[in-house]
Amino acid sequence: MLRVYLLACCLLLGLTTGAHAQRKGDLFIRNGTVLTVTNGTLKNTDILIRNGKIAAIGQNLKVPEGVEVIDATGMYVMPGIIDAHSHIAISNVNEATNPVTAEVSVGDVLNPYDIRIYRALAGGVTVSHVMHGSANVIGGQNETIKHRYGETDPDALRMEGAPRTIKFALGENPTRVHGRGHNVPPLSRMGVEFIIRDAFHKAQRYMEAWERYEQERKRNPRAVPPAYNERLEVLADILRGNILIHAHSYRADEILMLLRVLKDFGIQRVVFQHANEAFKVAPELAAFGAMASVFADWWAYKFEVYYSTAYNAAILTRNGVITSINSDSPELNRHLYHEAAKTLKYGGLTEDEALALITINPARQLGIEDRVGSIEVGKDADLAIFSAHPLSIYTVCKKTIVDGIVRFDADRDPDDMRLRVDPERPVELAIRWGDRQHGHRCLEGIDLIEFLTETLQSEWQ
Amino acid sequence: MKRMLLLWIIGWLLSLPAVQATDVPKARRGVFALTNARIVTVTQGVIERGTLIIREDRIVAIGTDVEIPPDAEVIDCTGLEIYPGFIDSGTQLGLIEIGSLPETRDYRELGDLTPQVDALTAVNPNSVLIPVNRVNGITTVITEPEGGLLPGKASLINLFGYTPEQMHVGGVRLMVLDFPSKGRRGRWDRRKPEDIEKAFRKAMDKLNEVWDRAERYARIDSAYRANPEKNPKPLYVPEMQALLPVIRGEMPLMIKVDLAPDILEAIQWVKKRGLKRVIFSGVAEGWRVADKIAEAGIPCLVGPVLSLPTRESDRYDKAYANAGLLHAAGVKIAIRTGEAENVRNLPYHAGFAATYGLGREAALRAVTINPAEIFGVDDLIGSLEVGKKANLFVTDGDPFEPKTRVRYVFIDGYMIPMDNRQLRLYQEFLHRQPGLELHPATH
Amino acid sequence: MRLRCFAFTGFLLLVALPLDLSAQQPPGQQAPNRNDIPTITRTYAITNARIVVAPGQEIPRGTVVLRNGVIEAVGLDVPVPSDAWVLEGDSLVVYAGFIDGLSHVGVPAPRRQGNQNEQRRRVRNPGDPPPERAGLTPERDVRTLLKADDASIEKLRRVGFTMAHVVPRGRMLPGQGALIFLRGQTPAEMVYQGEVSLFAQLEPAQGVYPATDMAVLARFRQLYREAARRRQHATLYASDPRGLEPPPYDPVHAAFFPVLEKRLPVFFYTEDALDIHRVLALQQQLDFPLRLAGLAGSFDVLEKLKQANIPLFLTLDLPEAPKDTSKLGKLPDDSLAARHNTYLHVSSYRDVPAEIENLKARQAKERIKYYKTAARLHEAGLRFGFSTRGADPDKILGNLRTMIQYGLPEEAALAALTIDAARLLGIDRAAGTVEAGKLANLVVTTGPLFDEKTRIRYVFVAGELFKIKEQARRSRTREAATTPARAEGTWSCTVDSPDGAIDTTLRIEGQSGTLSSSVMPEELPLEDLTMEGAQLTFSVMTNAYGRVEARLTLSGEAAEGTIDVPGVGALPIRCTRTSGPER
Repeated sequence: MLRVYLLACCLLLGLTTGAHAQRKGDLFIRNGTVLTVTNGTLKNTDILIRNGKIAAIGQNLKVPEGVEVIDATGMYVMPGIIDAHSHIAISNVNEATNPVTAEVSVGDVLNPYDIRIYRALAGGVTVSHVMHGSANVIGGQNETIKHRYGETDPDALRMEGAPRTIKFALGENPTRVHGRGHNVPPLSRMGVEFIIRDAFHKAQRYMEAWERYEQERKRNPRAVPPAYNERLEVLADILRGNILIHAHSYRADEILMLLRVLKDFGIQRVVFQHANEAFKVAPELAAFGAMASVFADWWAYKFEVYYSTAYNAAILTRNGVITSINSDSPELNRHLYHEAAKTLKYGGLTEDEALALITINPARQLGIEDRVGSIEVGKDADLAIFSAHPLSIYTVCKKTIVDGIVRFDADRDPDDMRLRVDPERPVELAIRWGDRQHGHRCLEGIDLIEFLTETLQSEWQ
Repeated sequence: MKRMLLLWIIGWLLSLPAVQATDVPKARRGVFALTNARIVTVTQGVIERGTLIIREDRIVAIGTDVEIPPDAEVIDCTGLEIYPGFIDSGTQLGLIEIGSLPETRDYRELGDLTPQVDALTAVNPNSVLIPVNRVNGITTVITEPEGGLLPGKASLINLFGYTPEQMHVGGVRLMVLDFPSKGRRGRWDRRKPEDIEKAFRKAMDKLNEVWDRAERYARIDSAYRANPEKNPKPLYVPEMQALLPVIRGEMPLMIKVDLAPDILEAIQWVKKRGLKRVIFSGVAEGWRVADKIAEAGIPCLVGPVLSLPTRESDRYDKAYANAGLLHAAGVKIAIRTGEAENVRNLPYHAGFAATYGLGREAALRAVTINPAEIFGVDDLIGSLEVGKKANLFVTDGDPFEPKTRVRYVFIDGYMIPMDNRQLRLYQEFLHRQPGLELHPATH
Repeated sequence: MRLRCFAFTGFLLLVALPLDLSAQQPPGQQAPNRNDIPTITRTYAITNARIVVAPGQEIPRGTVVLRNGVIEAVGLDVPVPSDAWVLEGDSLVVYAGFIDGLSHVGVPAPRRQGNQNEQRRRVRNPGDPPPERAGLTPERDVRTLLKADDASIEKLRRVGFTMAHVVPRGRMLPGQGALIFLRGQTPAEMVYQGEVSLFAQLEPAQGVYPATDMAVLARFRQLYREAARRRQHATLYASDPRGLEPPPYDPVHAAFFPVLEKRLPVFFYTEDALDIHRVLALQQQLDFPLRLAGLAGSFDVLEKLKQANIPLFLTLDLPEAPKDTSKLGKLPDDSLAARHNTYLHVSSYRDVPAEIENLKARQAKERIKYYKTAARLHEAGLRFGFSTRGADPDKILGNLRTMIQYGLPEEAALAALTIDAARLLGIDRAAGTVEAGKLANLVVTTGPLFDEKTRIRYVFVAGELFKIKEQARRSRTREAATTPARAEGTWSCTVDSPDGAIDTTLRIEGQSGTLSSSVMPEELPLEDLTMEGAQLTFSVMTNAYGRVEARLTLSGEAAEGTIDVPGVGALPIRCTRTSGPER
């Protein structure tokens, strides 16, 4: 009964969310060099956008009446960049109190006022996979958002229809926070494996209990339902294949560990996040069908990334692993195009391969590749217009378009793009960021616990 | 399956040279003739299809009709370009190995006042980080301590050498002063403005007290030196002894300062103290007071360029544009990354600055001749000129472009092996052996 | 057991007895202080006053008679009873007493016992803390927490409030609210009605689950859905216990049963627009009866609030302009806001002065949004009362004038203070207007309520008269300031971290002290401990962050300030003394 009731609630919620009408625009982009990513480069090409979707791509298209024209002569049009690992636009990152917190969701605490959404747009990024932090072995659920900056309703950010995803975290972070910080397992990578297996076993038992109850209820109207558990509900949904796993991981051994566990529980889809040592197990990843979302060149900020290489993305790509480059940083996400360009140098990827790392590949990793990630008729009109080839250092992002609406315009936007202002704070104070400010957000929220426990030495992820 | 086998064979073939090469690649000196290159001298224009001769540690000839010495090893640079080695004007390279492990961090000493400590002492010439970074054309960096008011002395080092002394360039040391700030330290700094102001005043009082004493100490010391019989020897105060060369103008003072109000305070303080050799470092909000900095004639080490704006109300690209705006106002600038493991991104910091207003030419100077001049070593490095140290690198294109590859790097005349752990991991794992198949020994 | 229950009921009856007697014998006569002059009557007549019966409904010159805590008569030609104490109402105006929609008035901040505190902090597993540590005390009843002589009661009454919906202090689910009178010698005398609300807020626990807003939301869902299941179990068992395991008793889940039955509304306090969105989403997921209080920033959520159609209680706190001594700072917000240039480009140092001016102008514009919130809610057709939580009582009337200046009709403001609040709280038959038969809750002023010169002369709470005198507050604060503060003792402190609060304990003896926390293996010695006036400063050395400096301002048994963590920021810290040098 309860479950039926819950289902009804979910449906209701779905309806109300669906009813939240998104603004979608019409546009005509004239005479640009179009980097489709999936279909090569098209010169002197127009793109027609109707109602937020790409309606036509071709040369000398007719401009329908009343549609605004953007002249892209001499410019490059690419698909909106997708950041598969971000912590912008949310009020909380880590619920760092328990090794398993599958029931929490950053989608519950979206913050559309975050200026960092706009700054990401200014780097051509239109979609972010906003993630729970890496403090817990099984952290919270993530949210895939579109950068509809300007809207103040959190629901307006959600990318409707994007698959559910959840954050896992292996290695140093969970062992540091829980084992060393709280004296609660895991203290080692052995313990991390156990925590995951334990969680899945409990979820299996939970599913069994509810199935038994459903059966019994048919015979016995006085059957008492088993205890409801929000956390196990989510874990059960992972087992059912309804939630994609995005696992923060670095070392090759822990990547293999998770592959074994997932195989044992019949889970087929997984994306390894950061995965600085994924290159060492590229054949295994490819064979499993697992994907990897990595940094272009970050390393050495902690021991488990000491044996890294900037050639990671290239090795993975050459071994047939679907790979993306992500930011995990409100600074880096503003120049993901530049991060992708580094693979031209580190491993000699082609331009299309490099662009795929920040467009169609992250789209595949988030299960939204039929909606975004390339310039194709019928896809969402999420586009970025650059002054020069986006993989060149001399390029400037000029306009970023989400659902056919220009959300960033380098030439027209005023400097101050905040959506709200603290009415009481004095205006003169600035932030002194200092050096190596990457702003790794993965461990955000436990900085202070770190300071208090003193066992945790860094705020790097 | 067939494809697998093919891949396996290719992989095996590729790995052959690595297997056979038993020699460890080592840096070497000698006579090198880099011929048919586009030589970007920075100070004396561009020479198309020119030749550059390196003998031992020096550049001995540059030009289109240079005679190639018979003992020279000729490197044909057709289609390639030569640049002076890039200088990163603010890093912690050599002082840190792994960020999260305190045992491997040597850039911070206990206490607010430790001007007597010296970064050069703690530079690890064998850091794995160094070869990873220098193959991108960065030959020289400032490596600096941090923390407290006077964290110690920074040094200019080459990214090659087996001892800190071998790495040290031109004996350059800079006294670091982390100037008190009226700003917030991060998103979570929620102090009341009054408290921030109070903390700033307190820190300024301390700085002034230190300087009063240092000046007095310098006078006592001078009197003693002038007449050791008559005047008493100054007390042993290592902090004050360390500040003597700064007070006497023999050592530059590198003031780390970022925010506009702090910069104005720092300019006033420098003026009041009559300091002649001062350099600003960081200068994130320099553009707001660029005219004042230009007027004061203080050179600026600007960066990191790839950085967030200091205020939410700022235009998104203000950190990129800062260097250009300072340059336009007449400030002499060099670029710094503030990095350690990723100093290799210096060309991209410069490239972003170039794109967002600084221009390519000025950006190139900001990582070559400008820092050399600012640190007083423009007779040694910073441009391709006869008689200068052979700190240079050869590329297949614009060094600011990510796609460009660096072919050769020379530091102090040494031809550096284009090798490092990251590259070796690539070579080993691009086509791993065994691949997926289980190893016969274990099954 | 049954007998003891009975005895307990008997005891309750006895306690309740004086309340019944009070019908004849006013509580004033039992004044604990022998030096008070005894009250001679509980009948009052205010004559020849302008009576604002309800917003927009006035008797220009009439009489109000109060007897035994109830309005006996209101009108033009009402005779003055012989036992009445007469207040000459000439030039005075009578309004219905104000009703506070949500606050902690009369609920003092709890002071923890030292060793109890120690026990509370030792949590073996921060992922599964005891409910109280997690902020889950929904079974707690605010009636047991009231303090009759709490200074907050008088402060709020002085500005015209006569009744309040009060809720316990705490974190996520602090407990159940009650409607109280702002008067009484004992907590029991204060209570008008209990079990009126379940109070909730997005307030995470300190360093234990739920430590973030997102976990608070998840915890709420878990509690609510599991409570539904347990209620189902309990219902099945009650209908026929045979063959069934008895349902477990658990006060936390049980507290949700009346909510599930839609008998008890959940009062959520929201700090900003994001909170409102989050709570409304939660309500959509679970479908519980909801009331919202706070609502700062609700100007961004008007459409959703309209759809939700639930009772609202707007905060009476308004933002104040930061201290700014420049010429610009002296401009009123309106003319400052008018200078705002939305499209300003700051292309070099030359534009910086214009930029600063523009930022101030933008900020003034933003402040005006808050001033206009009440008007916009009104224009949107949303009915609301007010909440005094977080508002300085002395600024409330001024803030109301600001809301009126920015478009809230005076009648709507009065309605929100009186009849609308009563309606939304379900007590409009008993309170909210000056009508015969209603509670004798009145505010008597020297003129129109929202005139700046108007003063409140009398406040009646349930028929009890309070004469309001002009305060000489300044001298008192000065007195407090000149008494040298002492730092000695044990302080229980809360540090606000980016994602949640953390408990720490400070122990200070003479010139030394320690800092400790449940999540820290050992105590850290305090260094550079200084005390200047009311300013306490010290530092501690940490491995992870180096020197951490703290600065606290002491006022009596409370202290607040910042703790400065290099690389993290200056984090707010609030302390209360749990044991002092004298105790």
